[in-house]
Amino acid sequence: MILDGLRGPPSLVRRLVILAAGFSVAALAVTSVVLVLLFQQAAIRRLDQSLGELVDNLLAATTIGDDGVPIGPALTDERALRAYSGRYWEIAEPIKGGGVRAVVRSRSLWDAELKVPREVAAQLSAKPGPPIAFESHGPLGEPVRTLASQAQLPGRAAPVIFLAAEDRTPVDRDVRGFVAATAISFVLLGAGLLTAVVIQVRVGLRPLFDLRREIAEVRRGRAERLSQRYPSELTPLADELNALMAHNQEVVERQRTHVGNLAHALKTPLSVMLTEAAQQSGPLGDIVTRQAEIMRQQVDHHLRRARAAARAQGPGERTPVAEVLDELSRTLERLHHDRGVAIDWDADEELSFQGERQDLLEIAGNAMENACKWCKGRVRVRADAVSPARMRLSIGDDGPGLPPERRAEVVQRGARLDESAPGSGLGLSIVDELARAYGGALTLGDSPLGGLGVEIELPRAET
Amino acid sequence: MRILLVEDDPDLSRQLKLALADAGYAVDHAPDGEEAQFLGETEPYDAVILDLGLPKVDGVSVLERWRRGKIATPVLILTARGAWSEKVAGFDAGADDYLTKPFHTEELLARLRALLRRSAGHAAPSLTCGGLRLDPRAARASVNGEPLRLTSLEYRLLHYLMMHQGRVISRTELVEHLYDQDFDRDSNTIEVFVGRVRKKIGPDRIETARGLGYRLVCPPGEEAGQPAAT
Repeated sequence: MILDGLRGPPSLVRRLVILAAGFSVAALAVTSVVLVLLFQQAAIRRLDQSLGELVDNLLAATTIGDDGVPIGPALTDERALRAYSGRYWEIAEPIKGGGVRAVVRSRSLWDAELKVPREVAAQLSAKPGPPIAFESHGPLGEPVRTLASQAQLPGRAAPVIFLAAEDRTPVDRDVRGFVAATAISFVLLGAGLLTAVVIQVRVGLRPLFDLRREIAEVRRGRAERLSQRYPSELTPLADELNALMAHNQEVVERQRTHVGNLAHALKTPLSVMLTEAAQQSGPLGDIVTRQAEIMRQQVDHHLRRARAAARAQGPGERTPVAEVLDELSRTLERLHHDRGVAIDWDADEELSFQGERQDLLEIAGNAMENACKWCKGRVRVRADAVSPARMRLSIGDDGPGLPPERRAEVVQRGARLDESAPGSGLGLSIVDELARAYGGALTLGDSPLGGLGVEIELPRAET
Repeated sequence: MRILLVEDDPDLSRQLKLALADAGYAVDHAPDGEEAQFLGETEPYDAVILDLGLPKVDGVSVLERWRRGKIATPVLILTARGAWSEKVAGFDAGADDYLTKPFHTEELLARLRALLRRSAGHAAPSLTCGGLRLDPRAARASVNGEPLRLTSLEYRLLHYLMMHQGRVISRTELVEHLYDQDFDRDSNTIEVFVGRVRKKIGPDRIETARGLGYRLVCPPGEEAGQPAAT
């Protein structure tokens, strides 16, 4: 699990959580080991203390008989009277060749002896000194803690060894209980810490997620700029992003302006040339007229390309469709007022195009103008959503329509099928070009009104 | 017929002045927006040919100022800027026709003739209802002096309602009067049009008489219910 988490792309959340979790777990583990050791030492020290008192009592109460044999005290400890009670004492003497031999022993020992390891026995026999504590086994094989001390008693030349022992089992049980309690509480503490770390990281990094969400909103065209208040660490980043987006917008606008200026600058002279050439009968006039027409088409084409390039850099925008259709219907009806064209349009108020307003105006405007040119009086426009991310614009007229075999030609660039109607004749190829630039498509079919039906699929802005 | 030609390019101006004079018009020429605005406000022209890219004041602003000053002279816009956003802006400013450069002189003359014919159409009294005003001659409507922007079907709907103001008009009657004979008569679309017109003139002006139809309401005002001549 942890290894899986370490793979994959670097993640701030994972890094912070793993660092905090690793530190917490290590700290908890060390603390728990230290605590257990301290508890164990304290328990053993308490045991040693009680054994030390027993040895001291033995030493104080023991007398040496006339025959030089030590006489043990009658009563030292109540527990030492019961057989195998777990608390024992013994008065012993060193024997030749190492080891000790019991001289007097507590009733609890019955007929057993306290086992003394050889090296401890050697140490005890050598000289009197501070009591020595060691581990050994009792009469029933249970682990016992033993304290031994050597002393010289008056009336006896040979040293006497006093031993006191106690069953370790209760102490060990206490230590085990302590270990279990520590383990449980530290595991709970660790889990709590981990949860706290995860929550802390999530809450701490929330502005970062908010920032990402807001940038997505801007890209989808639902917001113009980042407007939330961010923590001081993120404010410079948000400001820079806003500045970058404003700069991009400005570049797009500037390109548009340049492109418009170029159009204006070239088209007036072209108009003059066309008018002048029309008055000159003869080959010169014809050539100028033809070439001026070609120049105009070239200008139009390259202006569109420049605009498409400008669009690719711009941030996402959303354009309400109903508003654009209303404006275009009014304008086109006035343009074709003489022929009494009525445009019947309908679109959901909520429907929005994912793209720039100018481009939707060009797409719908050119397609609708084409319909107005060819219709007998009625144009029908419908815009609807086909999926959360796509919309469809259907434009139909009651004109003569177009036979299926000629439909492919219309959308080819520069095709001039509609040459006989006034206008540039590039209407539908411009629509096709723009729709493609937006990842959409244009298809031609039959309109319910009887004429040509144009369907344009376009990206839809999410609501 | 007296025409005002507003164009800053000297060559194009000369050519157009000649062509218009040949066609029998009296032509005044203004080379910039300031002069155009002054001439348009002081002289009674029959039509204006207005270039949009002008020195000093641009064409759209000139047109907007004229329309605000209640100067209704028909205006044909002449521009190099052929984008639909610019056409829409031109018409919303009050233009009557639009011609993109470069153009053939014959087309300009044909459009100008059509424009003059249209504006000379037979006089019909304008209709009023509360702050609503509809001028059938120019096919224009306004609410409280603000021009309304209507499509032709919306205009026809409002026109019919205003001609029969105060009366409940059934959906069938509306369908019959709004559409041609062969229009697909889907009465649901009437609701759409009523909704759009309501949005433009104010929600309370058209009442829905449930199950019966619609009624245009004229709040009592100085002009309420009175047809007035212009």
